[in-house]
Amino acid sequence: MSGGPAVRVSIESSCEKQVQEVALDGTETYVPPLSMSQNLAKLAQRIDFSQGSDSEEDGTEGEPRDREWSKQEPEEEEGTVKFQPSLWPWDSVRNNLRSALTEMCVLHDVLSVVKEKKYMALDPVSQDPTTPQVFQLISKKKSLGTAAQLLLKGAEKLNKSVAENQENRRQRDFNSELLRLRSQWKLRKVGDKILGDLSYRSAGSLFPHHGTFEVIKNTDIDLDKKVPEDYCPLDVQIPSDLEGSAYIKVSIQKQAPDIGDLGTVNLFRRPPKTKAGTQLWHVKLEAAQNVLLCKEIFAQLSREAVQIKSQIPHIVVKNQIISQPFPGLQLSISLCHFTGEKKNHRASPEKPKSDDHLYVLEHNLHQMMREFHKQQLSSVVMPHPASAPFGHKRMRLAGPMAYDKAEISSLQQSEGLLEKIIKQAKHIFLRSRTARTIDSLAIRIEDPQIQAHWSNINDVYESSVKVLITSQGYEQICKIHSTKCSLTLCLWPK
Amino acid sequence: MDNFSPGSIQPKAKKTFGGKTSMGVTCVCQVPVAEGKSVQQTVDTLHKKLEQLGAVKQGSFWVDCETYHPTGNVSGQPSKLLYVMHNSETPLSCIALFEGGPCLIADTNFDVLMVKLKSHFQNAKAHKVECRGSRYRYCDFLIKVGTVTMSSSARGISVEVEYCPCVVPGDCWNLTKEFMQSFLGPSVPELPSVFAAKPEGLFAPSDCVDTMTQYLELFNKLRKMQIPGSNVR
Repeated sequence: MSGGPAVRVSIESSCEKQVQEVALDGTETYVPPLSMSQNLAKLAQRIDFSQGSDSEEDGTEGEPRDREWSKQEPEEEEGTVKFQPSLWPWDSVRNNLRSALTEMCVLHDVLSVVKEKKYMALDPVSQDPTTPQVFQLISKKKSLGTAAQLLLKGAEKLNKSVAENQENRRQRDFNSELLRLRSQWKLRKVGDKILGDLSYRSAGSLFPHHGTFEVIKNTDIDLDKKVPEDYCPLDVQIPSDLEGSAYIKVSIQKQAPDIGDLGTVNLFRRPPKTKAGTQLWHVKLEAAQNVLLCKEIFAQLSREAVQIKSQIPHIVVKNQIISQPFPGLQLSISLCHFTGEKKNHRASPEKPKSDDHLYVLEHNLHQMMREFHKQQLSSVVMPHPASAPFGHKRMRLAGPMAYDKAEISSLQQSEGLLEKIIKQAKHIFLRSRTARTIDSLAIRIEDPQIQAHWSNINDVYESSVKVLITSQGYEQICKIHSTKCSLTLCLWPK
Repeated sequence: MDNFSPGSIQPKAKKTFGGKTSMGVTCVCQVPVAEGKSVQQTVDTLHKKLEQLGAVKQGSFWVDCETYHPTGNVSGQPSKLLYVMHNSETPLSCIALFEGGPCLIADTNFDVLMVKLKSHFQNAKAHKVECRGSRYRYCDFLIKVGTVTMSSSARGISVEVEYCPCVVPGDCWNLTKEFMQSFLGPSVPELPSVFAAKPEGLFAPSDCVDTMTQYLELFNKLRKMQIPGSNVR
């Protein structure tokens, strides 16, 4: 340009500088403007590398990615061009940009390879939204499994204890039964067997039967199955000759029996009375003891029948003793032992004849036997010195006091069982005959009137009856006294 | 109906425990053997007489006597012999007595005791005397005719008559003597010296000791008869 003076043209940004301070004198202090590098740094720092640029987002749908990158690249290159290594604040920027470039390149490479579909293919990832739930289930299952283990262990323990309890109960049942048995019967332990004694030996009997029974454990049953009603953990085994039931049949018959009938007494079986609540072993033992007592009674009776001499000899045949208290009258005592074999029972045809069995005499036999036992152990006999023989205590005085035979026999039991029972049978017969006679007289004779009052309280050998013979006009009192073997009639007229 | 009271019921078999029936008065005498007859024949004659009288035979009886010497006698005097006697009438007793001295009625275990006292009392087995025979009962009388034997040789005949109801000899001696006369005839003894020797005399009750003393005298007499003059040791 010519001619004219050089005009200095100054360009100035129109931006106003920020006022930093206004001095008191009006001068303004301006904030020094940023230099270009400072301005750039400021701008660069504003770049958020986590976001894509706005120009990319607008209408980039149809564009290929290359263009995007190419757009991006120059921007990035610009950024890198402007980068000056001396500005250390740009370091992070540089690093970020570099890593972003790297990643972008990789992505570009992968995508270009994938696009060819030759070496890499894209497959959609299986949508498995439950993957976290499976993990939850597994963990739940594991924890449940642990809990289940614990519970199972506990259940096992309980099972074991229940089984033990049952076993104990079985044992305890046996023990409690044994205790109950022991409270009623004598037991002793021999080795590993439990034996008992059901004889009357300790009560004073002298019968040589041992009377030993064995206690057997019966705990083999399965408690899971239904327990039978009559189950008992204890069982007793009684000697074979005491099995079944027995009784002594005493009967008085008018006619003499046939010789062939001797010894075949009707084995009429009396059913054993079982009280409710008694154990089987109790019934068994009682029956066996009864059999033993009956055997003892019969043995004693038969021994006496053979040994004691009487005017009319007694007949002892098998299990029957026959004697004649009066001529024409026959007393038969027999031991009926029912061992449970049916054939004997059916073979006896004389069943209806069992009505003549005199229960009173049977009872008296039992009573006398027991009395005999008691006498062996009575206080008159026991306690006694170990060296002294059994017998009445006064017998010890027999020597020093020079007792003669009459005194000695008066101390000792003179009458045997058989004699006593014969006397009682005689008494029964006489009493019934007397009653019949008086009754028949009373029926036959109308004047005077006869009344008989029998006393309720009688003895086994004596009874008393008061016979009133009344007649109109005056009274007479007569008394009849019946004794063992004879009748005496005393009359006291008034 | 009678009032129930224990007293009205009679017991079944009354046993008398307290009542001791003592022995009656006994007289033991010796019957000489009849002329020309053996001991057994004389005994049979007596039996027949008794049966004719109406006595009933009631079994047999025996009386025996054992002699014991006490050992260890210091003084020169002849020691008293101990006699241990048994009687079938008192089968559970035995009587130990010294002649004319104290006596003891004991249980039959006394024999065993004597065995234990062997060191103090020696048994003279050769001097054992026995008397066995039959027993007859005639109403209240008990007559025992026995043969006295010593070492299985018959030495004589003894007759014992007991009058059971009475215990006082003075009351029944006459009756007993009369009864004995009826079958013994002339050989009726006098009143036994045991009764007279008692302090109360005839009216003291007699017991089995008197009987045994009489037997002892009889045995000693019979023993001495066969061995005349020797000192029985």
